[in-house]
Amino acid sequence: MRRLLLISLALIAPSTAMAAQWEVSRMPWGDPDMQGIWTSATITTLDRPDGLEGLVLTEEQARVLEQNGEDVLESIDDIPEGDLEAGENVGGYNAAWLEPGTRVLRVNGEPRSSIIVDPENGHVPYTLWGRGRFYWHVYTFIARHDNPEERPLGERCTVGFGSTGGPPMLPVLYNNNYQFVQTEDVILILVEMNHDVRTVRMVGKPLPKAVRPWLGDSLGHWEGDTLVVRTTGFHLQQNLRAAIKHQFYMTEDSVVEERFTRTSKGELLYQFSVTDESIYTQTWRGEMTLRSSEGPIYEYACHEGNYALKNILAGARQEEKE
Amino acid sequence: MNLIPLIVILSMTIPAFALADYEPPRTADGKPDFTGVWQVLNTANDSLEAHTGRAAQVMREGPVVPVPSKELVALGAVGAVPPSLGVVEGDEIPYKPEALAKREENRKNWITADPEVHCYLPGIPRATYMPHPFQIAHNKDALMFSYSYAGAVRNVALSDPGPAPIDSWMGLSWAHWEGDTLVIETNGMHDQTWLDRSGNYHSDKLKVIERYTRTSEHTIDYSATLEDGDVFTRPWTITMPLYKRVGADAQMLRFSCVEYVEEMMYGHLRKERLD
Repeated sequence: MRRLLLISLALIAPSTAMAAQWEVSRMPWGDPDMQGIWTSATITTLDRPDGLEGLVLTEEQARVLEQNGEDVLESIDDIPEGDLEAGENVGGYNAAWLEPGTRVLRVNGEPRSSIIVDPENGHVPYTLWGRGRFYWHVYTFIARHDNPEERPLGERCTVGFGSTGGPPMLPVLYNNNYQFVQTEDVILILVEMNHDVRTVRMVGKPLPKAVRPWLGDSLGHWEGDTLVVRTTGFHLQQNLRAAIKHQFYMTEDSVVEERFTRTSKGELLYQFSVTDESIYTQTWRGEMTLRSSEGPIYEYACHEGNYALKNILAGARQEEKE
Repeated sequence: MNLIPLIVILSMTIPAFALADYEPPRTADGKPDFTGVWQVLNTANDSLEAHTGRAAQVMREGPVVPVPSKELVALGAVGAVPPSLGVVEGDEIPYKPEALAKREENRKNWITADPEVHCYLPGIPRATYMPHPFQIAHNKDALMFSYSYAGAVRNVALSDPGPAPIDSWMGLSWAHWEGDTLVIETNGMHDQTWLDRSGNYHSDKLKVIERYTRTSEHTIDYSATLEDGDVFTRPWTITMPLYKRVGADAQMLRFSCVEYVEEMMYGHLRKERLD
């Protein structure tokens, strides 16, 4: 019996050892290979929801949250039969169009209650001024329909919803895929929503201050096997990052540092920090696991079929008349 | 075995390859390296066909000679169209007669009908010869084209993905190699994109075969053959060099035009309309 056990252990040991010794594959010039299509979809939100304490959840808590997520998704398609009365809420997308994730975010195997890991309370650490700016922009987002430029960026199709293109790149309700293509001098990150390509330059210097691209100006370098990307020079209007799954405020002078480390064949550890003394009391940090996803990424065209912005503005003009 | 026919055949094929006695830089898997920022130096986006210069993209009758359409007068020389030898092999696009009429209609309605005016995605092949740069990144596992204009992008498959699941603006592209030439086939485009500012267009039957061959440190020989039985009488081809941007120019800034067209598209829906 003991011999049998030893043999069994010997058979198991190699696979465990192999997992521990997983070696990152490399591009021909030696940098770690980050290429592929990655998804950030998860039911875990940026901020820690009320009622959850601490960063790490128990497996039981994670199971409850995952069940809740599943129930919500199912309830979306649970619509009454027959025609609605005029003026009734027609609801949003069917569940088939959504990709809000089915699992709680796990980092190093730990189920997490929020993407934010620092500060410890899991919330963006605004100063009083910063919080005021945040609420002012949220108010504008909800209440103002006078001009197209007052509407959120995702609605205008200038970039995707919330902070999907980032940086930091955060999960939203759908289309949470990213494709990395690497050369020695530049790394392209295709953000599925809205077909935005982040160009991470591995050589060169920051753009002149007058040049402020959407998704900022990203410069990268390697620290060991970790890709470190520093982004500055944000577009003047890319400040409120508001989507159903996260809402926060940054300024054009915020600095984002991202760290990408490939931890296994199917996983990429994504860590980021956001620094801006004008609105935060401290640098805040987040962690996620990006998971390998099946491709290809199909086209996400937004502006070309943007009936929403037109109808929101037209609806507001109509309401004023009534 | 008589080797003479083989030698004759080989000697006949050599000139085509030798055109390229240029030896391109290569990726680790031995393929020519197209990595970099590229751009055309022509006005194909004004019109693919040869044309003489004119005062504006859209003209109207004048008392003596045609003059710019009313909307374009204020642009003066900035709105004028420079002359061009064209990029179409055989000079003329082989339209079916009824399709040519549609092209003329498009041309008249350029200001409101050209998708470029609305900052819509350009489609293939127009993305290539927009007056904006594009960046190619590739290796044995990936091929991506990132275009400055409208932030358009093409993630090109490296094996035949089969029919496109749905038509799109940029279509579905896949690449293969013919010697040192990168050949990209694109289909699955809908009929909403145009081929230039002169109303040249296609239907959703369009299939494009592009060929990229490096001919020097700074040039690519580019051609695109367009097949579309609904609009054209036969396949036809455009050819042009692509130029590599170097030094400080070898960096691509995105022409994110969506925000630039908001006044045009939504200005009439402002609470306080601007004059």
